[in-house]
Amino acid sequence: MTNLLEPGPKLRRRYRAEKIFKRMGLSAIIASLCFVFFLFYTIISDGYSAFTQTYIEIEVSFNKDLFTDANISKADFPGLVKKSLLKMFPEVTKRQDKKLLYSLISPSAAYTMQELVEETPKLIGTTQKIWVLADDDVDMLIKGKYQRDVPESNRRLKDLQLKWIDRLTAEGMLEKKFNTTFFTSGDSREPELAGILGAAKGSLLTLLITLSLSFPIGVAAAVYLEEFAPANRWTDIIEVNINNLAAVPSIIFGLLGLAIFINFWGLPRSTPIVGGLVLTLMTLPTIIIAGRASLKSVPPSIREAALGIGASKMQTVTHHVLPLALPGMLTGTIIGMAQALGETAPLLMIGMVAFIVDVPGSFTDPSAVLPVQIYLWADSPERAFTEKTSAAIMILLAFLIAMNSLAVFLRKKFEIKW
Amino acid sequence: MELTANHASNAFPTMLSEEMLEEAEQSKTLATARKTVGTPFVDTPRMTCRDIQVFYGDKQAINKMSIDVASNEVLAMIGPSGCGKSTFLRCLNRMNDTVLSCRVTGEVKLDGTDIYHPSVDVVPLRARVGMVFQKPNPFPKSIYDNIAYGPKIHGLTKNKDELDEIIETSLIRAGLWDEVKDRLQDPGTGLSGGQQQRLCIARTIAVSPEVILMDEPCSALDPIATARVEELIAELRTQFSIVIVTHSMQQAARVSQRTAYFHLGDLIEVGATEKVFTNPLHQLTEDYITGRFG
Amino acid sequence: MKLKTIAAAGALSLLLCGPALAARDYISIVGSSTVYPFATVVAEQFGKTTGYKTPKIESTGSGGGFKLFCGGVGINHPDITNASRAIKSSEMEKCAENGVNDIVEVKIGYDGIVLAHSKSVAPLKLTRQEIFLALAKDVPDPKNPGKIIPNPYKTWNEINSNLPPTKIEVLGPPPTSGTRDAFVELAMETGADSFDVIKAMKKTDKEGYKALSQTVREDGAYVEAGENDNLIVQKLQANPAAVGIFGFSFLDQNSDVIQGSFIEDMPPTFEAIADGSYPVSRPLYFYVKKAHVDVIPGMKGYLDEFTSEKAWGEDGYLADKGLIPMPAAERKQYHENVAALKTLEMK
Repeated sequence: MTNLLEPGPKLRRRYRAEKIFKRMGLSAIIASLCFVFFLFYTIISDGYSAFTQTYIEIEVSFNKDLFTDANISKADFPGLVKKSLLKMFPEVTKRQDKKLLYSLISPSAAYTMQELVEETPKLIGTTQKIWVLADDDVDMLIKGKYQRDVPESNRRLKDLQLKWIDRLTAEGMLEKKFNTTFFTSGDSREPELAGILGAAKGSLLTLLITLSLSFPIGVAAAVYLEEFAPANRWTDIIEVNINNLAAVPSIIFGLLGLAIFINFWGLPRSTPIVGGLVLTLMTLPTIIIAGRASLKSVPPSIREAALGIGASKMQTVTHHVLPLALPGMLTGTIIGMAQALGETAPLLMIGMVAFIVDVPGSFTDPSAVLPVQIYLWADSPERAFTEKTSAAIMILLAFLIAMNSLAVFLRKKFEIKW
Repeated sequence: MELTANHASNAFPTMLSEEMLEEAEQSKTLATARKTVGTPFVDTPRMTCRDIQVFYGDKQAINKMSIDVASNEVLAMIGPSGCGKSTFLRCLNRMNDTVLSCRVTGEVKLDGTDIYHPSVDVVPLRARVGMVFQKPNPFPKSIYDNIAYGPKIHGLTKNKDELDEIIETSLIRAGLWDEVKDRLQDPGTGLSGGQQQRLCIARTIAVSPEVILMDEPCSALDPIATARVEELIAELRTQFSIVIVTHSMQQAARVSQRTAYFHLGDLIEVGATEKVFTNPLHQLTEDYITGRFG
Repeated sequence: MKLKTIAAAGALSLLLCGPALAARDYISIVGSSTVYPFATVVAEQFGKTTGYKTPKIESTGSGGGFKLFCGGVGINHPDITNASRAIKSSEMEKCAENGVNDIVEVKIGYDGIVLAHSKSVAPLKLTRQEIFLALAKDVPDPKNPGKIIPNPYKTWNEINSNLPPTKIEVLGPPPTSGTRDAFVELAMETGADSFDVIKAMKKTDKEGYKALSQTVREDGAYVEAGENDNLIVQKLQANPAAVGIFGFSFLDQNSDVIQGSFIEDMPPTFEAIADGSYPVSRPLYFYVKKAHVDVIPGMKGYLDEFTSEKAWGEDGYLADKGLIPMPAAERKQYHENVAALKTLEMK
């Protein structure tokens, strides 16, 4: 008889094995959480500073003599900025020093002036205090990403400039403000002007095309294969091929897209329409496989019930099977979309890895997408792009989290329990 | 003796059954004989089945069965597992069509029309020969929609009032009305097992079928729910022909007028229920009902 | 399923072909990733100061750029390709095959390739021979100069006792990169030529010479990292023993944390590259399809902007981004060529 109070060695061994197994599982979870935490920590600690930007306040007098030409855009706005700066630092006289002084301000200051005057021509003849963007080097210094203690020759900012910056800071004319530019403009080679909107909109347009093509085609294909297709060798071949396509490296789809959509159909390069088509090819297998899996998971008793009271095959599928399979299909689709959102390799082939300043307005405007923007910024020499890269990754992650939450929400909402 | 071949027409059913009785007496000694004994044919059949064979791929599941289903009767089908009674039941409304490898030969007539004729459409057929399944399978919709679905797809009603009426009468006939009349919009899947099965029966009768096939309708239910369903079957007999497959000999004895005994793909014996249970003609039937196997 | 896909895609293509075939109102530029940071600045400047749309610039690499550029004439083909090397005659032939006959070559300046490392250690002083010995797969045996052996050097001081005793660890661009091509040609080949054994092979065994002088070691001392990548800068900061290979503009932008190694006693400074005394530098180009100049709006304006003194001059904004300008006479020459749209002669 086994003693109930003192389990034998065999039972103890069993318990020990169970304990070890549980611990291994737990440590795997902890390890992956650590990695995720580390990833988020590095990205956020690198990137949060990109959401603020350094601005400098300058006093500009919009002298009437400057605006003699009827066309405001002809006025010398860069000169106006320079004049205003010199007025603030009257001690600067040498040509070399003037150049250093001018380089504190972003070249965009002139455009800011131009926009202001074009918006409110009444400004002409008045003197205004205006906050303009500081140059990216100044911004990096303020954010503590440049070291001050290295020899002057090795610094991007010279001693004189540091002195001016300190003076401006002391007088409250240099401040970090929320970086609206980052959310409202397209790419730029000046880090302080670079924004994510162009890429975000490009991603949105591309994904719209992908979704509106791949969801209906994928669902129709899955329903046909699962519910209607005769079980013969052709169906087997198609099934094997779809499974293979899901594992094909995505760059292959880029090559295919280049050959068909651009070279054969003549669609314009670097546009969301081509990008969307290529990503459709890429996500279709995922959606079809997920769709078939969720159709398979609909209990056969539901099909029998519908058939048993005289529903046709089509009615059975559309009235009963499809609505029940839809949450699973939606989840599969959104996972496919999230995959497509993060893809750069196929887009390289169709010219979406490109410098595009204008925010795309339609499906046929050239545009980049979020991961491409991250890649391009990571590749840029200016130090200030490092934080922009991390910030762009944060935006991409936000997109992904939003999409995955939507998937969870849809599944919860449409899920039917029995 | 080739029963089915000799008596393709059943002009003299009473005579035939007497003949068969004699022969069955002789064959009782031959345990291997697999010819149907008893009274497979009736005077006014609703459905007639002749020489039904069913194959799954190369495997034969049913071997030349012939039987009639009379109007306003409950025909019970009993037999050990794998004897082909469910397969046979599914031949009667062509549910076997959905099984790809399944092939049916022979002739099944509903009111004189061969339901396996190429020009017969399964959709109206299944409206006339309804089916209730082993496991209650209400749609994951409201109680109302569960019953409304059939009439809707068959276009049986012109307006909402008519539909409401069908739903009410169906539920009343299924004995479910009093329990659910206040919560018709609740999901059908939220009911208890017995209620779900009665809902499925209500759903089936909502399209006014002539024959209702029931495939072990009580096997997933507790004794009290089973009793309710059995009562219901007894009531429904007044309007429909019911063919019921059951594992419970007591149930067959309680609800049916005739009983058919299946054994390994053969129809062994058909007869009035009382007779089959008290004085079976065939040795196999006797062995089964006395619990020697099964 | 396939039929449906094709049908849907076909219907869609018909719908979209309309706008696609209409005229393009922006300049399409492809080509070298080395020229990309300069071309994009010019493009942005051009887009902001004129009424034209900002040109679209793809970073495809020099070779990929020529492939696209030579694809043909028409709005589906790019107007300009950037290159970190001159066009090859095989590429000219390819162009001519597809009807791209008139090409304007524009040299825009120079780019130095630097070996840089952390500021926390003393600067390395290297010769090209030492670079070859540190990075080649096979080198002449130091004991028996006639014999070629697999690279035995593990630390810098094994090559030259004046060098630090740290492990050889170089982060450089992958073989697909133009920077790598130029580095191999300018630094390693010249280094290889300083050995008589190898130089002699140039005449007798051309293939063998090429393999010897251009093959980078694969035993882990040379790590293929991204090209022009901010990550390399971070890695160099973290590991003072590591050396990175990249374009001068990266050194220029990060001069507070990394420093360039001396090559042949020359530091990689703006001035040393501009006057040609820093040995590892190369010219950068872009090529213009003449047939497109009058078709695509803004082409002339873009060319003007790029070849203006305020862009590529000694104090121009491209110099701020790290481009080493050409001497004034050469700038003038190219500016005139561009204005006259002087095309390349088939060699």
